Amino acid sequence: MRLRVVVAAVLAVALGVVAATASASGNRQSANKLTVWLQVDAQSGWPDVVAAANQQFQADHPGWTVDVQYQNWGDHLQKFDATLAGGNTPDVIEMGNTEMVKYMAAGAFADISSFKSTFANSDNWLAGLAKSGMYGGKVYGVPYYAGSRVVTYRTDVWKKAGISKPPTSLAQFTSDATKLAVAGKSVKGFSPVYLPGTDWYFAMSFVYDFGGSIATTHAHKWVGNLNSPKSIAGLTAFKNFWLAVSKASKTSNEANPAPYDIFSQGGAGAIVGPGWFSCCTGAKYKAVTAQFVMPSHTAGKAMPGFLGGSDLAVPAPSGNKALAADWIKDFTSTSAEKSLQAKGNIPNATSLLGTSVNERAAARSWFVPAAKHWVDVENGNILRTMLSTILGGKFTVAQAATIASNNITTTLNQP
Amino acid sequence: MASAAETTPRWSRRRGAVWRRAGRGAVPYGLLLPVVAILGAILGYPIYSLVRLSLQHYTLFELIRHKGQYIGLHNFGLVLHDPIFWHTVLRTVIFTITNVGLTIGIGTLIALLLVRVSGWVRILITSGLVLVWAMPPVVAVQVWNWMTNYQNGVLNYILTELHVGNFFHHDWYATPFSQLSMVTTLIVWEGLPFIAITVYAALSQVPGELVEAAEIDGAPAWRVFFDVTMPIIRPVLLILTSLSILWDFGVFTQAYLLIGQPAIQPGNYLMAIYLFEEGYFKNDYGRGAAISILMLAMVATLSVVLVRKMVQAGDVD
Amino acid sequence: MWNTVGIGLFAVMVFPIFWMVSTAFKPEDQVNSVTPTWFPGRPTLSHFGAALHKPFFWTDVKNSLIIVSVTVAVAMVLALLAAVALAKYRFSGRKFFIVLVIGIQMLPGVGLIIPLYVALARLHLTDSLTGVIVTYMTFVLPFSVWTLRGFVMGIPKDLEEAAMVDGSSRLGAFVRILLPLVAPGLVATSVFAFITSWNEYILARILLNAQGKQTITIWLSYFLGTSRNTDWGALMAASSLTAIPVVVFFLLVQRRIAFGLTAGAVKA
Repeated sequence: MRLRVVVAAVLAVALGVVAATASASGNRQSANKLTVWLQVDAQSGWPDVVAAANQQFQADHPGWTVDVQYQNWGDHLQKFDATLAGGNTPDVIEMGNTEMVKYMAAGAFADISSFKSTFANSDNWLAGLAKSGMYGGKVYGVPYYAGSRVVTYRTDVWKKAGISKPPTSLAQFTSDATKLAVAGKSVKGFSPVYLPGTDWYFAMSFVYDFGGSIATTHAHKWVGNLNSPKSIAGLTAFKNFWLAVSKASKTSNEANPAPYDIFSQGGAGAIVGPGWFSCCTGAKYKAVTAQFVMPSHTAGKAMPGFLGGSDLAVPAPSGNKALAADWIKDFTSTSAEKSLQAKGNIPNATSLLGTSVNERAAARSWFVPAAKHWVDVENGNILRTMLSTILGGKFTVAQAATIASNNITTTLNQP
Repeated sequence: MASAAETTPRWSRRRGAVWRRAGRGAVPYGLLLPVVAILGAILGYPIYSLVRLSLQHYTLFELIRHKGQYIGLHNFGLVLHDPIFWHTVLRTVIFTITNVGLTIGIGTLIALLLVRVSGWVRILITSGLVLVWAMPPVVAVQVWNWMTNYQNGVLNYILTELHVGNFFHHDWYATPFSQLSMVTTLIVWEGLPFIAITVYAALSQVPGELVEAAEIDGAPAWRVFFDVTMPIIRPVLLILTSLSILWDFGVFTQAYLLIGQPAIQPGNYLMAIYLFEEGYFKNDYGRGAAISILMLAMVATLSVVLVRKMVQAGDVD
Repeated sequence: MWNTVGIGLFAVMVFPIFWMVSTAFKPEDQVNSVTPTWFPGRPTLSHFGAALHKPFFWTDVKNSLIIVSVTVAVAMVLALLAAVALAKYRFSGRKFFIVLVIGIQMLPGVGLIIPLYVALARLHLTDSLTGVIVTYMTFVLPFSVWTLRGFVMGIPKDLEEAAMVDGSSRLGAFVRILLPLVAPGLVATSVFAFITSWNEYILARILLNAQGKQTITIWLSYFLGTSRNTDWGALMAASSLTAIPVVVFFLLVQRRIAFGLTAGAVKA
């Protein structure tokens, strides 16, 4: 009998704890708090911009606080899905521009077209970014910032190789690489240009440079286009360039190892990536780091760069839509965008564009197909698998491109 | 382990029966209540939800509206007709057998070694095993990544220095086979401590005189092991093996993080990764639920032995 | 001869840990060096400093300790009660409960994430430590019940009967006799529960959003999630730090484990 008392007591305590915390967290919902999900890039890159926006918001709305919760790119969508299922989404969420379409098509975001005029410089939003936030003629996402791809290089190695100025064509870049290899040969495994094997953001630039594309629409259906003659020409040019200039692993990706780590260890004459790569090339080579725009195979032109970027959206279940839009207004104000620009990003409006290498590269760009299931192509690593099989020689360019095209067609045409 | 019941006088057992009949019948239920209540409260809805989801068409669209459409067993049909599913099952079974075999095999050898070494070496090894067991998997993956990477991994360096071959810039993640081999080394490394320590403890139950007698008779070491030692530690080994099968079949974190999301593709899917990719990454929750249930059925089948032993044990009271 | 093999085994097993700790002390240029440096040439504590100064370190340590302590404490009590029921009593439905306890361990955790989240959201337990504790119970309890059942079954019946002769109830006998005998088993099980809870990542990540409420494993993941400039030295230092409490807890109790595990495993 004593045990029954013990059992009852333990159960009571357990339930009591649950109830107490439940009521405590239940109250949380009614407190005046705006929940914002930003990626960790903001946390480490421009915390001052976030703080300024919060301050402005709190000044305009006394009694309200802003809770900024930082997310990782790797799992933020799974977490968002969980909150959508549970009905307790954040009020503002940062989404990658390639991630937007799927969620817009599913109705995850609130229509903020009516707030568009309140956002700074909204008449001059960068076309590519703005498009990624629109669906069915309505605005669901506000452009936050963009990034193009540039070449970050070691001026000392180039000088040692006897190259006086950055190349203006792909062919010239390739021949420069031979001289760079000689200049850097004291470092074992030196890459004239360190290129990961499966960096599709870079590889697809070649496809678009030669007039090809990843997919096209035909009678309301998507058709994979990587096996068209122009696309194949681009992929072949990529393969030849890669094999001539890079000693990286053919199966590696652009995040692991980070190209700037290789650069800082002295293992690369140049790396290709977002403009902010120059931040992290290490103390040793800080003074000899510079950037130039990746040249096209056509002399004098720039190779189209992938216009990556983020949008800010308001999840549909949020109960504070107007306030959320107001916070976004504060966070994408002209002064905020100028701060982001100073940190190596591309601001969200053409009226703010400067002449940094990064911004010049954005003049010629390409973007992924605006398909609902594009994110599945990315997550399914269809392009990455294609690239590693091409570079590894498992398939010819034509074979790999056909396999990928078929997979893309199937994936994009899912209901 | 002779049953204590055989040595208990009859009058005592009858007295125990009297206690039971005296209305103490509710006690076991009372003792179980807290555990069942918590498990029921937290897992009840998710399990019910899982079954329900498996019978519905439920993607991101339906998730946002909290409402799916019933399509009966269509999800199961899709999964069972998907060649990727079957390839993944086969790959996971092979992976499980390899991992379990290596972990139990090497673990037992380590346990046998522990018996033979001097006291201080035993403490050294046990402490080392403890350190390994305590390492968080997420951390272990990072260290593994660090050691086996293409650019400057210490593994490549050591192998080259030992003149095993030229392993400079060797890509340990070039093919699904080598990727899964790397995952295997990690899983086995993490699993050895539990097995080694448990088997070692079991070995301490083996009567030393029996072993000595067999050795004096001139029996070779492996004979001594199989004829004398094995029968006594067999129950322990059986349970450890079943446990390992259960755990290794459902491996997710280590494989997903070590291979890296950008390199995951149907050629290196393991069951739990396949489940995650199809169900979560591609937002087809109905299909993910169907795969979960199929996976549960497979694991249950694989560990039927364990379940039977658990249920039967204690029946001779 | 065996001793040499033993030492060799130790070196191989512990090498990854040695590598992690060694890197944590290396100066920046040696962390990423193309040729590996075995021992930090000029050991530095700067990485540990960087790790400790990263926001929320101590908060997350506190959260992890709270979650793990409550989980282990409550789970041990409840699991022991249930184990006694399943080991020492005959009642209808006994086999069903045993199968249930094992069956729950077979559920693929990955598949349950979103339904679990929804269930907890309804109870307003998301973004709360209690929600995580209760969730962790669902995998700590089954294993603990099953393991403790083995230990409880191992208690010789004549000891029980001897206590009952004194006139104490069957359960009173259990409390007086059971606890001391089952202590090693409790210790062994609690260590397993501690390790599993401390190192858990996926569920904590999904359930906890507010930065002040996260656990130490989530804190660690932020080192990897930053797409700008991974600080490898600090990551290794941070990793070493997160492993410390588990190692300490384990080393304190490790002597009792071997005995505990065997008794339970064999009886089961």
